[in-house]
Amino acid sequence: MAGLEHLLAALTPINLAFALFGVVAGTVIGAIPGLTATMSVAVLVPLTFAMPTSSALILMGAIYTGAIYGGAYSAILLNTPGTPSAIATTFDGYPLAKKGDGDYAITIACLASVIGGLVGALALMTLAPPLSQVALAFGSVEYFWLAIFGLSLIAALSEGSLLKGVAGGALGLLLSCIGVAEVAGDVRLTFGLQTLLSGIQIVAALIGLYCIPVLIDLVAQPGHHLQVDSGSRGFRLGEAVRYLWGDKINTIRSAVIGTVVGILPGAGGSIASLVSYSEARRTAKPGQAYGKGEPGGIIASESANNATVGGGFIPTLVLGIPGTPPDAVILGALLVQGVRTGPSLFTNQGEIVYTFIWGLILATILMLPTGLFIGRYAYRTIITLPKALLVPAIAFMTIIGSYAIRNNISDVIIMIVLGGLGWIIGRFGFTASPIVLGLILGPIAESGFVQAWTIGTATDDRFGMFFGRPISIAIIVFTLFTLLSPLVLARLQKIKEQAHAD
Amino acid sequence: MPTEPRSDTGGAVVSAILIGVACLVIWDSMSYMDKDSAVFPRTFAGVLIVASAAYIVKWLLGRGEAGPGADTGSLPRRVLLVGIMLGGTMAMPWIGFIGAALPVFAALTLVAMYDPWTRFRVLVYPLIGIAIVLGFFYLFREVLQVPLPTGDLFDS
Amino acid sequence: MKTTRRSLVLTGAALAFVAGIGLTAQPAPAQAEYPEKPISYIIPFGPGGESDITARLQQPFFKEKFGQDLVISYKPGGGGAVGWATLNTLKGDGYTMMGVNLPHIVLQPQQKDVGYKTDDITMLYWFHYTPDAIVVTDDSPFKTLQDLIKHAKENPGKVIFSGSGKGTAPHLAQVRFDKLAGVKTTYVPFKGTGASVAALMGKQVSAAMAFTTVAANYEKTRLLAVAMEKRHPRFPDVPTFKELGMDIVSGAYRGIAVPKSTPEPVRQKLTAMIKAVNEDPAFRKKMEEGGFAVVDYAHGKSADDFLSSFAKSVTASAKEAGLLK
Repeated sequence: MAGLEHLLAALTPINLAFALFGVVAGTVIGAIPGLTATMSVAVLVPLTFAMPTSSALILMGAIYTGAIYGGAYSAILLNTPGTPSAIATTFDGYPLAKKGDGDYAITIACLASVIGGLVGALALMTLAPPLSQVALAFGSVEYFWLAIFGLSLIAALSEGSLLKGVAGGALGLLLSCIGVAEVAGDVRLTFGLQTLLSGIQIVAALIGLYCIPVLIDLVAQPGHHLQVDSGSRGFRLGEAVRYLWGDKINTIRSAVIGTVVGILPGAGGSIASLVSYSEARRTAKPGQAYGKGEPGGIIASESANNATVGGGFIPTLVLGIPGTPPDAVILGALLVQGVRTGPSLFTNQGEIVYTFIWGLILATILMLPTGLFIGRYAYRTIITLPKALLVPAIAFMTIIGSYAIRNNISDVIIMIVLGGLGWIIGRFGFTASPIVLGLILGPIAESGFVQAWTIGTATDDRFGMFFGRPISIAIIVFTLFTLLSPLVLARLQKIKEQAHAD
Repeated sequence: MPTEPRSDTGGAVVSAILIGVACLVIWDSMSYMDKDSAVFPRTFAGVLIVASAAYIVKWLLGRGEAGPGADTGSLPRRVLLVGIMLGGTMAMPWIGFIGAALPVFAALTLVAMYDPWTRFRVLVYPLIGIAIVLGFFYLFREVLQVPLPTGDLFDS
Repeated sequence: MKTTRRSLVLTGAALAFVAGIGLTAQPAPAQAEYPEKPISYIIPFGPGGESDITARLQQPFFKEKFGQDLVISYKPGGGGAVGWATLNTLKGDGYTMMGVNLPHIVLQPQQKDVGYKTDDITMLYWFHYTPDAIVVTDDSPFKTLQDLIKHAKENPGKVIFSGSGKGTAPHLAQVRFDKLAGVKTTYVPFKGTGASVAALMGKQVSAAMAFTTVAANYEKTRLLAVAMEKRHPRFPDVPTFKELGMDIVSGAYRGIAVPKSTPEPVRQKLTAMIKAVNEDPAFRKKMEEGGFAVVDYAHGKSADDFLSSFAKSVTASAKEAGLLK
């Protein structure tokens, strides 16, 4: 079992060095917009051929978890998710940084990531075989409803006008259709342009829609990028720990959501952070202003996305079905090494699996000191670099980053054009977040719908397919709850006030 | 500081453009071989039309919701930023990654410069720019094995 | 100003650190003869897919035989089309090659303008394929293919296959199976083979139209029939469709191509090198254990004949499936 001997095996100097190196390199890579966890893991694959399997896994797991955390830096400091998983971190992280609390936001993100990572890894260690069944219980129709649940967040995110938010969401869903259709055989909405054939890459779109407007506004004014308070305030660790303790339900709930969503192949970190953000927002305490720099929003997103690391390994190792895109690469590396995943991996080759899980836990713990230090450095760089260097440096990173995702110039052009258009329509109240939600959730919603519809038609029970399965019903109920509860609460509040007035 | 409701003509114009986009989508969906490919785009093109049309109606009734308000700052600098980035990117296949990145970096430094040019800045900023570009070039090409464009003209 | 200088120094330090990571990945000292430097091997799909995994399997054998690395990079998009459309713009110096897949390069250009034509691609080698196969879970009521056919005849449309995408090898195999077995089944496209197997294991569908590799990689799955000429050595108990009276020999083929500007002598050399890897007994054994079927259609007449006969049959199936006009 998960005993001490595996912990000791994980504690060899070489494994420790891998864990440390992986976390540091992963954090740096994840902080650069465009360099995703998937890519950083893929780069390591050839190096792992010559390693013992458990060490290779530790290295890849550490860089993966570091990259997911590193994505928070650019989310907080530049309003640009470094990895798609950090998308919900921008909602509150950037406003908090603009208020001058970027250092605090980064410390909060680090603590939440470590806790989320540990919860995911512990689930992997103790409950992997039973939890893997979640991956199988989730069918096409459940993915469809999960995407709809995610889209319901548009209502909360469209500041100002709901109609504009809905229009933005629909636009995002349409943008996601461009290129070769995912499950059907058609080429859609390219209008004969080769540039559009590969579709709109989500990371490139994220960089464009979030980062380019920031750059555009940065260059237009002489003032500082982020407000800075004078004097060094250290890591503000005590403050952050106290906040997390006060918001512990959110922290743990988000970690659990992240673990479960991580188990679902076809969902992944971005969905996990959106779902837990939505839940945190729904259950906000009075005085918590989500969307305006509420630390709870960072906790929800970061705790959840790091929990997907452990969660995603569950179906990967137990069923051989990758839970997240980086898991697919790790699974491939294991196949090349001759390791066959499956239920018997845990029983027959327990030493590999448990040594790896201990290594992942160690790496996650190492993320605390390294994350705090790198985060502090990133923060200082951003606030002290003069604007005349900051703007070209960020612009340069967005170009090279969006190129590197698929080694395609088209993605860079699409990134810049989307960013410019996004800035323009943003001026008129059409904000980026609904469009991005549509882009991310569109493919999941579409393929889930087409599959469920086809299966429902074949079994002559389309209604039962969409509305008759327990998990679906639960998601539908949650969606309605999320959409309606603010309305109901506002109504109640009004009645109360009127009662007072009378 | 939301002022009293303004007419938000811009929002209505964007809505009208979005209706046009939706119509374009529906037109494109006519050519699909597989009817499964058309369901989703048509549905959400419909949603886009309904939401945008509803907003235009709202605007006609004088109940538009203006965006974040008038922008301040330099429009030429904004346009230059996007133009330089786009131009550099498009030139990349011909002049190579380094050949495009260095001028883009330099041009953007000029666009984003609000402080006076002291001797220190004149000397140090270009050096930092070169260090960043070359450092990332090395990181991406050698470590991350990204095949960055080399440029047809130089063919290095 | 002090903080500025400080942050500048720190930036320099960070770059030095980042550069330090790379020092370990330096190429080996160059040799006098071709190949003098690592060869870039572009996969037109994302990392982690089967095209990536098989390239990774080739990597160590190539390095061992020729002393140079195969450096794998990815250019995904448009189901591979983005990569193939750029193939001929790349340098033809023998240090650039690209993975190629069937039926993709035959069907894509016929469906829409995707920036290349099938004939634009200069093939060096077709080295293996993943044979189509009908997969069920180990507790499925279908013990043999006849069970499945019988059930499908009694319940038209009610046997549901999951498969990877439309217009793909599994989809075309399902269409052909329906025709030859005289049944009507339903095909549900998923994003990739992994997702279609997840749907099978989750009992969303009755069977998966997938590949022999699935049975090699996933426990708790069983094959009912494989689309090969002879039985797969890894699964000696599983019959071929041919044995069962249906002429289905198909799958997803993989090979390698170079830019058109690559000179003929270099093409020959590279072909010989790929051939040497593909014919290595240890490599073959690894591939067969993984469920692949190794083939050898080398540059020249062999590869050309194979492609034209494949194109003919796959185009006919795609027309039947309503994917092509």
